[in-house]
Amino acid sequence: MLLLDYQNVLIQSVLTERFSGAPPVSIDQTVSDFDGVTFHISTPEAKTRIMVSLQIRCFQELLRYGAEDVLNREYGPYVVAPEPGYDFSIVVDLENLPADKEARDELVKKISLLKRNAMAGPFEQAYQEHYHLKAEAAKFTSEEAPQGVREGGAVKAIHYREEEAIYVKASHDRVTVIFSTIFREETDRVFGKVFIQEFVDARRRAIQNAPQVLFRNDPPLELQGVPGVKNTGTGEIGYVTFVLFPRHLTPQRMPDVISHIQTFRDYFHYHIKASKAYIHSRMRRRTADFLQVLRRARPDNEEKERKTASGRTFKVGS
Amino acid sequence: MSQSLRPYLQAVRSSLTAALCLSNFASQTAERHNVPEVEARTSPEVLLTPLTIARNENERVLIEPSINSIRISIKIKQADEIEHILVHKFTRFLTQRAESFFILRRKPIKGYDISFLITNFHTEEMLKHKLVDFIIQFMEEVDKEISEMKLFLNARARFVAESFLTPFD
Repeated sequence: MLLLDYQNVLIQSVLTERFSGAPPVSIDQTVSDFDGVTFHISTPEAKTRIMVSLQIRCFQELLRYGAEDVLNREYGPYVVAPEPGYDFSIVVDLENLPADKEARDELVKKISLLKRNAMAGPFEQAYQEHYHLKAEAAKFTSEEAPQGVREGGAVKAIHYREEEAIYVKASHDRVTVIFSTIFREETDRVFGKVFIQEFVDARRRAIQNAPQVLFRNDPPLELQGVPGVKNTGTGEIGYVTFVLFPRHLTPQRMPDVISHIQTFRDYFHYHIKASKAYIHSRMRRRTADFLQVLRRARPDNEEKERKTASGRTFKVGS
Repeated sequence: MSQSLRPYLQAVRSSLTAALCLSNFASQTAERHNVPEVEARTSPEVLLTPLTIARNENERVLIEPSINSIRISIKIKQADEIEHILVHKFTRFLTQRAESFFILRRKPIKGYDISFLITNFHTEEMLKHKLVDFIIQFMEEVDKEISEMKLFLNARARFVAESFLTPFD
């Protein structure tokens, strides 16, 4: 439960149930995911044809950065024209499922990763760009490399939330991923600072091979001149930079690294909220303790009148 | 308990015990009113000299006695931004429950984090030395609680960061 899953669990469970050979039923379900993403699972034509649609804020940007290739590669035969109001749709025919169970599970998994795959386009493109630049740079020594090679590729901006964005930039020896994240209130900002400091330090202390993490409150130099980046100067927006080194950039590790880095923002905020909740419950407990102490200050109720067995009353002492 | 905390708390305890010498006193300015004089401040002759006990520049206690009520304000140590937030959250949490705390003031005095108001009616109903015990225990535990919460936050942050970065390794 510590790390977030990459796939959407609700889609996974709905489809697993449908694919298990149960009699077909009609479905009409809207599923929400992180970052304002909405899915719609429905059976518009027949009970055996399940349509899964995806709606995502930054779909136009994703298309520009090669999301279509990734989506076609992953869902090729299932892709259909998008449902009105949604950006991307696939249809699975229950009568045409793969025969063995493993292949069916594989298909469920793939569909529940729809959001991850849609977002993966820019990252994959950055990887390709990195390989290309690396090959180019190998032809020169570092001093005489032409401007384009030394500078690296253009910054790809994905505005995946209303006020937050991911920026991806490839160069010949690294891929830089920058998250801009906004803190709604003072407490979140302070907690976020504590958390991010540990991300920065983790590399020095324990995990030498992790990507380098940098944090600042003003836009980093990579983002100079990128439209939509403004320096508010209030410290409300934070920029978290991940520097992926060649060891993270091998083709074998690409899918895992892309999946994992996508979950950063949600993971980060999830743990800030969780800490707040814990501290809140702790204060509640402590307050109850204090009340207990204060209650001790009240003297016990005065002793009630005592009676003997025969019903006579008497006063004690004095 | 640290070396300087003990005499600090001892001083607060003795001063409070001395100050908690309250009697019923009706208002001299409004007929048939009986209000805490330290809050009303209408008759200067029934107010006593306020007293500040400071452990250092960030931690101090202000005791304002009067004939029928006494106000105690505490400034809790805040070394950095995190402690500031935690203290703020915690005192707000307490003051929102002022109803059940009887002696807690809903709003702290300016420059302090939390205030208590004890009137002669409280001392008539409750045991005086236990009230002093409560204030002292509160001061002891609040520091402990804040630093424990801060430690917890740091430990959690470290654990969270390491588990996120480990899959990259």
